[in-house]
Amino acid sequence: MATTLEPRTTPPPADAAPELGLEADAERAESRRGLLIGLPSLAYLVVFFALPLVIVVVYSFATRSRTGRTILGDWNLDSYARLFDPLVLEIALRSLWLALLTTLISLAFGYPFAYYLATRSPKVRGILLVLVMIPFWSNFLVRTYAWRVILGRDGPFVRLLEPILGTDVQLLFTPFAVVLGLVYGYMPFMILPLYATIERLDFSLVEAARDLYASGWQAFLKVTWPLSRPGVIAGSLLVFIPSFGAYVTPEILGGGRTTMLGSYIVRQFLSARDWPFGSALSVAVLLVMLAAAVVYLRSGGRNL
Amino acid sequence: MTEMLREPRVRTALAPDPVAESGTKLPAVAMQGVTKRFGGGRGGDPVVAVDDLHLDIRDGEFFSLLGPSGCGKTTSLRMIAGFEYPSAGSVRIFDQEVGLEPPNRRPVNTVFQSYALFPHMTVVQNIAFGLEMQKVPDDEIATRVGEVLELVQLSGQARRKPSQLSGGQQQRVALARALVNHPKVLLLDEPLGALDLKLRQAMQLELKRIQEQVGITFVYVTHDQEEALTMSDRIGVMNLGQLLQVGPPEAIYDTPRTRFVADFIGDTNLLSAEVVDADTARLTDGTVVRVATGRPVGATVTLAIRPEKLGLWHADAERDLRLDAVTGRIRRMTFLGNAIVYEIVTETSGTPVELTVRQGNTPGIEHFEPDERVRVRWWPTSTAALED
Ligand SMILES: Nc1ncnc2c1ncn2[C@@H]1O[C@H](COP(=O)(O)OP(=O)(O)O)[C@@H](O)[C@H]1O
Ligand SMILES: [Mg+2]
Repeated sequence: MATTLEPRTTPPPADAAPELGLEADAERAESRRGLLIGLPSLAYLVVFFALPLVIVVVYSFATRSRTGRTILGDWNLDSYARLFDPLVLEIALRSLWLALLTTLISLAFGYPFAYYLATRSPKVRGILLVLVMIPFWSNFLVRTYAWRVILGRDGPFVRLLEPILGTDVQLLFTPFAVVLGLVYGYMPFMILPLYATIERLDFSLVEAARDLYASGWQAFLKVTWPLSRPGVIAGSLLVFIPSFGAYVTPEILGGGRTTMLGSYIVRQFLSARDWPFGSALSVAVLLVMLAAAVVYLRSGGRNL
Repeated sequence: MTEMLREPRVRTALAPDPVAESGTKLPAVAMQGVTKRFGGGRGGDPVVAVDDLHLDIRDGEFFSLLGPSGCGKTTSLRMIAGFEYPSAGSVRIFDQEVGLEPPNRRPVNTVFQSYALFPHMTVVQNIAFGLEMQKVPDDEIATRVGEVLELVQLSGQARRKPSQLSGGQQQRVALARALVNHPKVLLLDEPLGALDLKLRQAMQLELKRIQEQVGITFVYVTHDQEEALTMSDRIGVMNLGQLLQVGPPEAIYDTPRTRFVADFIGDTNLLSAEVVDADTARLTDGTVVRVATGRPVGATVTLAIRPEKLGLWHADAERDLRLDAVTGRIRRMTFLGNAIVYEIVTETSGTPVELTVRQGNTPGIEHFEPDERVRVRWWPTSTAALED
């Protein structure tokens, strides 16, 4: 044993000063390299995210001139005060409601599908995953216009329903059409994180629950569901956030009575030429989404 | 010197087993003709994981299923638990057919190989789970959980999550979670596999203590022969889906019935021989040894003798007619600390026989050097004739 304790290389002579700070140099070089690698993405974030965000925040405190020009200076909170306008609140509540509905429906249909997906053989799984992603191969705008045809006056649903119900049926330009379009568009964002969570789930835990006298349904409620929460939360946020600020879908499938925040904001910038108010609305939407993300990180952190 | 090789007491194979003789007690688990095939759909050949298993596990015993990885131990256990349904045959628990019942309708509980503790529940919640599912009143749950925590010595960890426990503690929680339900049979699938050696040995004794204390039938799956020998009342040895031999540890070790059992459990000398008459056989080097093979004259048999049952003497040692013997030369000597292992090649005419002799490193034992000529002697009862 004693032989192995002897150092293999000869130690530096005792009088030679040990080179202090060598490792600090190495660590500094290491972190420089890290910065270099991160630089492109950092630049991207600054130019395309931070800068526009700063501009939006600055504009939200500016004033609109009578001609629709934005006056930078004369900073005030007027635009924020207008957020509590009944019309704005109505639109905000509608957006919230439609986004929540979209999220719940996506979850109700996405969970069973993700569960099915995660419990297939690897081969079947691959095929199904590709099917989930196929819609991304064509343009979202085009696909949404396709729904306009499907739900429209001459579409199959109206033609099928009208003789049965005996009355005029309006599907397009209703909240129903908007939610359908949103669910259709964002379902993959629900399915994929759910799939990833369920796929990693240790199914011997379900067996353990069954072994401990739980029925199949009880085992699901007590074990599978709580353990798939991280996926449920991630998927719900990934659906809720874009639904809440949706622009394309309500614009194409919704009518005048289903205006959502996204469309309303765009209108401020374009037709109303009220950039400060549009900016204040954007900041408000951003804060709601931020709150949602914080909820996600909190609960995710506690459960993982 | 002959003192060193005391005559063995023959008990296991020949002595009657009191429990088996009584025959009145119902077996805890009775498997009859149980077969399990996996796959085989769409042209693929099915895997026969368990092949026509017949097994009675007695009430209150510590029974081990022992065999190499992939031999069907886990599948057999899972069919008792209800996680797999047999392709054929019947599984009875205390005379009640359960073959096709779901796991929650069987009076058995399982300790899983990887523990399978619920990560989102505390120790207490984990242990109380089975009782809650059975709708046991809250105050009784509290009492029983407290009792079982004491039994596995985990009272201090009640409010922790499984991830905050060491491997050994998690193992105890898994055990407590099963035992708290007072199952009629407890199933354990290599529960100590993930622990390091020291802890594993301590847990072996502890498991045995707990089993004796609660008196529940344990069915224990392991690929570790030492573990099986240490803990079990009886062992069933499996290979390739088949149950080869069932018996107490001594019987399995001393009188293995097949080459696989002899080889898998402990070290052994396997010698090819030809039957001379009802009580003797001739080794390939011409030595005649005493062994009852129950085979026709002239048949080839394989004999098994454990290395530690062989004694080593100088080649000119006086003869002892009660013992069988061969003379040979030491080819190799390995010092193991608590024992010395010699490899010996016989010097008689015919094909030489190779033997491994293991001598305990006890005071007074004579040490031999490589190339020395020696005499190897053993009691005829140490020789087992194998079936295949
Ligand atoms: N679910 C399954 N599907 C297909 N083959 C299986 C399955 N479970 C076990 N097997 C096969 O059955 C055989 C026995 O497995 P197992 O009972 O796990 O062995 P052991 O526990 O003795 O290591 C192995 O060949 C294994 O590959
Ligand atoms: Mg196994």
